[in-house]
Amino acid sequence: MLETPIIPSADYSKVYEPAEDSYLLLDLFEQIRCELSSKRYAHSVPLVVEIGTGSGVVTAFLNKNILPKALYLATDVNPHSCVIAARTNSHNATSYNMDVIRCDLTSPLLTEKVDILIFNPPYVPAEKVPEIPKDDKDPRWLDLALDGGPTGMDITQRVLDSLHTILALKGEAYILFCARNQPDKVVEDFKKKSPGKWDVTMEIRRKAGWEMLSVYKFVRLCE
Amino acid sequence: MKFLTTNFVRCAVKSCAASSDSFPLVFSECQLVQQEQDFDAEFLTSMLDRLDWPALIKVAADLGNNSIPQVKPENIDPEDPESERILRDLHSLLLETQITEGKMICNHCQHVYYIKNSVANFLLPPHLAN
Ligand SMILES: C[S@@+](CC[C@H](N)C(=O)[O-])C[C@H]1O[C@@H](n2cnc3c(N)ncnc32)[C@H](O)[C@@H]1O
Ligand SMILES: [Zn+2]
Repeated sequence: MLETPIIPSADYSKVYEPAEDSYLLLDLFEQIRCELSSKRYAHSVPLVVEIGTGSGVVTAFLNKNILPKALYLATDVNPHSCVIAARTNSHNATSYNMDVIRCDLTSPLLTEKVDILIFNPPYVPAEKVPEIPKDDKDPRWLDLALDGGPTGMDITQRVLDSLHTILALKGEAYILFCARNQPDKVVEDFKKKSPGKWDVTMEIRRKAGWEMLSVYKFVRLCE
Repeated sequence: MKFLTTNFVRCAVKSCAASSDSFPLVFSECQLVQQEQDFDAEFLTSMLDRLDWPALIKVAADLGNNSIPQVKPENIDPEDPESERILRDLHSLLLETQITEGKMICNHCQHVYYIKNSVANFLLPPHLAN
């Protein structure tokens, strides 16, 4: 068992506390560690981007245990996450190769540069996606971590729709779903939109309380 | 935000994505702090491949550093003392230079983004959001 990163003094009323979904990603990366670390990337140093990094636990885990020679960029809309994620990383792993920016998904990133994309999204079905609070002290930042609109897919679907502009050729995305997102159907629709361009596989699945969580890998094939 | 990150970000406005004026952003009124980091020659050498050198020169100039070589160093051999000197300089610029406060401006739409407490904020106001 690889060590789970320690998160120094986070306030979990403001930042998403690592939970079963976070640990499912850690377990998956532990399982596929050899495959990932032996892989040749389009660029010699892979660019790893985590959307919605929260406490930063997933990025710190990868940087420490799986791909220490990668370049990491983590994003979050939540200003508290941006501070904590950087701190979690430097507490557990090297910090010269990691940075955090505050943005919506990957909106300021140059197109087709990302080799590995990771997203544990707000996947819980909820009436709507909360608006972004106006100031840092607002108590509602945490709502953004979970509520994903009627089928929990509002945010994830936006990422899927722009995945071809985010990922480099041969790049891969690891995205977490819950059963109520109907991932099978989502994947089928996704593949229908650009036949032959993607390889999509379910990598890991686990029951967590009354949720069934799964992580799918989306690989962008060479044209 | 680390200097290195400026080589990977452009204006977040969707209609600016296609314009070459949206990258690199123009950096202005920036405060910098040097933050000591482990030196990893191998990492830096392979990092070089990924860098957009003209963008790097431009941002360095915005921040008052005009001493970047005009062409990207090639055939770096970490064992060679001259190469090591180049790598150490790049290490200090790319990985140790932290922009703690400042503005980033898009040369296409003129939108201003802010860096505060070392965090660059690319969230857009509702009327510009994608
Ligand atoms: C389920 S939490 C996952 C946190 C962390 N990655 C983990 O696995 O423990 C979802 C995260 O996504 C962030 N988030 C929500 N909407 C976002 C958006 N549009 N862009 C970037 N991050 C977003 C939330 O603030 C939250 O930190
Ligand atoms: Zn712009």
